Amino acid sequence: MTGSLLRVENLVVEFRGGGAFALRRETVTAVKDVSFHIGAGDAYGLVGESGSGKTTTGRCVLGLQAPTSGSITLGTDDVGELRKRDPQLLHQRIQAVFQNPIASLNPAMTVARILAEPLRRLVGMKDPAAARTRGEELLDAVRLPTDVLDRRPTELSGGMAQRVSIARALASSPSLIVLDEAVSALDVATQAQVINLLADLRDETGVSYLFIGHDLAVVRHLCDRIGVMSQGALVEEGTADQVCHSPQDDYTRRLLDAVPVPDPTVKRVRHGHTTR
Amino acid sequence: MAVLRRVVTRPSGTIPLIWLAVVGFCALFPTVVATHDPNAADFASLLEGPSGAHYFGTDELGRDTFSRVVDAARPAALAGLQAVSISLILGLPIGLFVGYAGGWWDRIVMRVVDAIFSLPGLILAFAIVAILGPGLTNAMYSVGFLFSLRVIRLVRGMVLSVREEPFIEAARLSGAPTTTVLGRYLLPNMMGPLIVQTTISFAAVLIIEAALSFLGLGVQQPDATWGSMLRDARSFQRDNPWIPWPPGLAITLTVLAFNTLGDTLRDVLAAGPGGGSKAPRRGVALGLADGATTAARPAVDDTADPDPEALLSVRNLSVIVPTSTGPAPAVRGLDVDLRPGEIVGLVGESGSGKTVSALAVAGLLPRGVTIDPGSRIHFDGQQLVGLTEARMAQVRGTGIGMIFQDPTASLNPALTVGYQLAEPLRIHHGLSRAAATDRSVELLDRVGVANPRERLRDYPHQFSGGMAQRVMIAMALASEPSLIIADEPTTALDVTTQRQVLELLVELCDDLSMAMLFITHDLGVVAEICDRAVVMYAGQAVETGDVHELFATPDHPYSRALLASVPLLDDDEDRLVTIPGRVPGPGEQIVGCRFASRCEQAHDACAAGPVDLVTLAGGDRSSRCLLSAAAVEDGA
Repeated sequence: MTGSLLRVENLVVEFRGGGAFALRRETVTAVKDVSFHIGAGDAYGLVGESGSGKTTTGRCVLGLQAPTSGSITLGTDDVGELRKRDPQLLHQRIQAVFQNPIASLNPAMTVARILAEPLRRLVGMKDPAAARTRGEELLDAVRLPTDVLDRRPTELSGGMAQRVSIARALASSPSLIVLDEAVSALDVATQAQVINLLADLRDETGVSYLFIGHDLAVVRHLCDRIGVMSQGALVEEGTADQVCHSPQDDYTRRLLDAVPVPDPTVKRVRHGHTTR
Repeated sequence: MAVLRRVVTRPSGTIPLIWLAVVGFCALFPTVVATHDPNAADFASLLEGPSGAHYFGTDELGRDTFSRVVDAARPAALAGLQAVSISLILGLPIGLFVGYAGGWWDRIVMRVVDAIFSLPGLILAFAIVAILGPGLTNAMYSVGFLFSLRVIRLVRGMVLSVREEPFIEAARLSGAPTTTVLGRYLLPNMMGPLIVQTTISFAAVLIIEAALSFLGLGVQQPDATWGSMLRDARSFQRDNPWIPWPPGLAITLTVLAFNTLGDTLRDVLAAGPGGGSKAPRRGVALGLADGATTAARPAVDDTADPDPEALLSVRNLSVIVPTSTGPAPAVRGLDVDLRPGEIVGLVGESGSGKTVSALAVAGLLPRGVTIDPGSRIHFDGQQLVGLTEARMAQVRGTGIGMIFQDPTASLNPALTVGYQLAEPLRIHHGLSRAAATDRSVELLDRVGVANPRERLRDYPHQFSGGMAQRVMIAMALASEPSLIIADEPTTALDVTTQRQVLELLVELCDDLSMAMLFITHDLGVVAEICDRAVVMYAGQAVETGDVHELFATPDHPYSRALLASVPLLDDDEDRLVTIPGRVPGPGEQIVGCRFASRCEQAHDACAAGPVDLVTLAGGDRSSRCLLSAAAVEDGA
């Protein structure tokens, strides 16, 4: 592994439950003492079920959620400190793609405007003509025709919208992209295309990924290392092959077992049903 | 602007707009329209009826009523503009701010708004006028203030619903400062409801202005307003009954025009991009229907009768959806049979027509989407195509249960889960309140919800995704259906929860001998739970058969490609197999095989003419491919 790009050390996130008028407040620990490193150009998968704390971890990395304790370092900068000092620089260096492709794009803007926003604010590309040219390049990079620039998000299919989100994330040439369930809402055929695209983009640009997902079969295809989270804690970590082929933790085994396999002879929820 | 065009093309948009244009013209140029000086008294002609000289007659001072009604358009328009702009200037920023900032700001401002709202509006307006003194402008300040409370509520509500959308998060990551997020991301997405609210506010302001003037709190004499004209008319209407008509009609028509326009705007905006139903939008929005101008009518190739042994027998189902180039079939001649207790998977990519097919069977197609009359859907011996909405609701209430993809969106967030479970039991099955509660407890228990009696009092948001889907399943079971239609019921769930829900569904089908039509894009799920599968592509079934055979030896090139694109845990290939190109839209006219343009094995004959679904050797399987058709013939 090359030098670490992102270092998450002893990350803890607590949420205070109850309303403002509630007498008794319960504290929910969403993330419990999580540590992992992502090398430059690496893809790290964070896997777990809903409520395991994987999305909260991703939000902390993005600077959208303040950790209760622990540290997140990007290169030589502390993310929390960078967020206060120069949020534009933080966002230029760490970008994100979210789960819901259409809802991730402002329905009131054209794709050209959506791509121009980070170019203008994070890269300082004020000239609209230059931003448009760069927008065409970005669409080209995610294998979309340039006429998509003048469309609105509601005119795009899920797969196309997700490519636009990826193009927007690439706009500021970040060193890390957080992909939060970025392919979960896509159907199988589109999902395969987007996974391949993400792999190609990593090869072409050297960007690192923090890939958050629940389906180990998908995560395995994109990531070098995988961390498994359960109830806020990192229960297992290793290379993709280690985690998928010789899991050490019971929870990892359960997660692996739950992945549906497209072969009726392997394992089947429905046994021996015969139709008349 | 597209919205404006669509409003103008409807009579409910044109007529109000014409009337409002007339009123607007009168307000801008009263001297052009008026025939007399509105304030010139003529004691020679007091209280005259309508005539050529005085179109609407004269009042008690001999003033020309027509000219006064025309002249009064200006204070009415001014009043509306003042009050509505004050309401927007005050309400918009406050609503945006408290909605976005949340926390204490939100709580305090909204409590104050609620408190003021609880007072009767007109009385509050009186109070403000009493403090500021009479006069139209003062009256409109007070009305504007009152209406700003409505705007605050509306805007805050919309901000709250949009605030959590990922595109807002993405805007922040793009470096947009808060003011930009508010002005460029939130505001434009709220324009529709705001415009509707503003239009309707105009109507309400007119009524309040008329009422205040009627009571002498608005415009002062001698200037005319419609309200003050009505007040003056009161003393003389016994002997001169036409006198209140002109100002009365002016008020009524203008208010009606604003309200109708508001309604029309709302309808148009609701049907526009971003609103409306999912199925037709996909076709329209993607502009997939290039070239084709007429809807290709699916060839009626199958005249086979429904299977009498089947619980559900669908024959030649075609569903017509609107596209940018006119109506087109999203489903083209689908045949599906489900025997009692059988689980059949309907598999395909987005745009394959699988969900539209399922909705057609359930009679839940969105407005504008229709079943071709040549289609037959036999359920339990009854033909469902052509049933009235009421009869269809009865079939759903007693024989077919539905489960949808997003459980939290399918449940009403404002009602307890217990209420939503018990309500249909009381309506469809005539159970008493106590019996319905007991049955609800039984149902929740059956789907594996712990502490069912306590959980009945919970609201949907208190359930996790998996538990909410169990509640949906319980609701589907309530009618003791013989058929469950499940549309991607586990797609929104993570793999571990998905597995639990799948296990539950299979167990329920076995125990209660229900059949299930399972719609999914996930071949893994099909392999795990289905007995048979129908692979759909671009509106057609391309392959059907027993899952064991279908997965072992997929026949159609599309089935093979789809199967190859599934990421596997134990395959060492780093790159996934992808299918080049995209699914053709409903309106695209393709003479030959609809998959040919993406098929690696396509040859000239594939594009020459329609390809039929042929039964493969071995009986229970069929495939829509020329290659397999040739193989069958060779074998025969």
